[in-house]
Amino acid sequence: MAPRLEKFFAAKTFCVVGASTTEHKPGNVVAYNFVNHFPGKTYLVNPKGGQLFGEKLYTSLMEIEDEIDAACVIVPARFAPQTIEQCGMKGITNVIITTGGFSEIGEEGEILQQQINDTMKKYGINVIGPNCLGLYSPALGYDTMFLPVTKLKRPKSGPVSIFTQSGAFGAAFIDQLSNLGTGKWVSKFISYGNASDINETDSLEYVGADPDTKMILIYLEDFKKGREFMEEARKISLKKPIMGIKANRTETGAKAGASHTAALSSNDAIVDDLLDEAGIIRVITWDQLEDCVLAFGTQPLPLGDNVAIITDGGGAGVMASDMVTDCNLKLAELSPTVQKYLDETFPSFYATGNPIDVTGSATAEDYKIALEVAYNDVNVDSIVNICLPCIPDLDIDEYIKVTKHFARRKEKPFVTALIGGDEADKAAAQLLAEDIPVFPSPGRAVRALGMLTDYTKYLRKHGIDPKTILVEE
Amino acid sequence: MTDNKTIFEKIKQENRNALLEHEAKEILRNIGIKIPPSRLVQTETEAVQSANEFGYPVVMKLMSTQVLHKTDVGAVVIGLSSEEEVRNAFADFMKRFDDVRISGVLVEKMVKSGLELIIGTNIDPTFGPVILFGVGGVLVEAIKDVVFRMCPTTKEQALTAIDEIKARVLLEGFRGMPRVDKDELADIIVKLSELAWENRTYISEMDINPIISNEDGLFPVDARIIIK
Repeated sequence: MAPRLEKFFAAKTFCVVGASTTEHKPGNVVAYNFVNHFPGKTYLVNPKGGQLFGEKLYTSLMEIEDEIDAACVIVPARFAPQTIEQCGMKGITNVIITTGGFSEIGEEGEILQQQINDTMKKYGINVIGPNCLGLYSPALGYDTMFLPVTKLKRPKSGPVSIFTQSGAFGAAFIDQLSNLGTGKWVSKFISYGNASDINETDSLEYVGADPDTKMILIYLEDFKKGREFMEEARKISLKKPIMGIKANRTETGAKAGASHTAALSSNDAIVDDLLDEAGIIRVITWDQLEDCVLAFGTQPLPLGDNVAIITDGGGAGVMASDMVTDCNLKLAELSPTVQKYLDETFPSFYATGNPIDVTGSATAEDYKIALEVAYNDVNVDSIVNICLPCIPDLDIDEYIKVTKHFARRKEKPFVTALIGGDEADKAAAQLLAEDIPVFPSPGRAVRALGMLTDYTKYLRKHGIDPKTILVEE
Repeated sequence: MTDNKTIFEKIKQENRNALLEHEAKEILRNIGIKIPPSRLVQTETEAVQSANEFGYPVVMKLMSTQVLHKTDVGAVVIGLSSEEEVRNAFADFMKRFDDVRISGVLVEKMVKSGLELIIGTNIDPTFGPVILFGVGGVLVEAIKDVVFRMCPTTKEQALTAIDEIKARVLLEGFRGMPRVDKDELADIIVKLSELAWENRTYISEMDINPIISNEDGLFPVDARIIIK
């Protein structure tokens, strides 16, 4: 059976119920999105009638003669049950309810949600929401995010699909991705809110099967179908990387039971092991999510765990080396010919082991020499390029050119840490503008490699060649 | 051999939720987990006969629905190495526990010391039956070096769980200790996970703690099963 979300995204006719004529109101924004970007036919419904964005406002769903494949319902919660009833009568089987005011607000909302659930079952309607942002796909011109572009910028089409329990997280992260590099990141975005019907497991099934989704990013607080989710994830993670946050780590502790096992069974201890076992890369903080997108979205997977560090600062190199150990990576032992070449080429006060420390005397040419030999060394699986641009003889523009060159080769993962003030920030911005992964600390750069390498190890453990996983075309 | 469902039904009818150790071990034997030789006896003579049959040293444990935390009240004696010691222990049990309903005394061949591990199951509200493997013994809840999997578990999943505990170095023959038979251990994890899954309407929690790994193999020493 095809994943249920496919019918939503495959819609040829779409209806916005509650299309508002007041600018920036949710019903106005969603109507605007579909009228302007959706390649299929858009119908708008507003009981007052009239026109909006040059389209007719139907006073009722029943007035529309065409068949409707999917609809977005943006009406106050108290009108939602009757609207869903009308959707059912009209034969619409895929409905997104973005409005809030249901089970998340307590008893009163609970009753409304129950009414919707009953109607949904009666007519066999698939429901996303309520209390969510719904769906977004730039390539499909599909956008039920009810916040105007002036407030919530839309990222352009790319390899990442995201599903989230929290709409607010989703909105902020989508906005953030629009601002990251070229902003070309998103394939499908799914915000399912209260998950009255479509839930995390439906979302995972859909993005897992979707050929345009190359990597999957998740934000969850709980599971509606935990067992099915893990079983599905175990299959999908062998084909594309899944990563993200399972928040609410401290909510449920272990209940005192009669056995040791019950006493040790805190929900998060179980979640953590099951995510890991299913091949899902779990991150804890928000900034790690962006690092995931940059690392997995722009770099190939490493074929081993040997890291070469190139740095102009001793301290930064030591910290990066520490993080190499923390992330279960290894400092690569450079090949004897590479070692010999570096020893002969660089002044004696440069450290030519690993890290290769080109010191405060470094020039962009020194970086080029060090990065070139490290990149080409068969003993090196990935590279950390650290620069503290405050040193006197470094031509930052040249350094940026050198960094771009290696970041674009994409034979091995290549990450950069630019550390400092204004000059570092400006250089980082120039690199990021071309989707070259740059991080503001050595630790974050190494940790990004750690996540990539963890995924390589997971694939290998299951007999999959990491070279078969291509996030970037 | 009584089948497992019959045992669970009997316990339920008796309005109990904790199986006695010999009942729990019978369940484990029924699913093919090797348990050290043991027998529930009613008389001193039977106790001596069993001890002679198994070989010394033996352990004796008092089985009573009124005594669930056996060690706390001295209802477990270990290292009995002669007929006389077995007789004395039996007589001592009868004297000290003359006010409780006794189901019998479990005489068991004593397992040589070794690495203490734990395998257990529980029902998680999100994931249903889950199985745990880790470092066992009395300090298990303080050490918390355990790994979870969903039930039923495949052998491959069991093997990866075994390799994920922090103290995995202990399994490889640490400081002269015998190596742990991971293959056998994984088989036991799989069997217990299948038991928990198939009987999820009965079983709420299980512990095999410790399961001892020594030079002779793997031996479940204590077992606990709680039903719903």
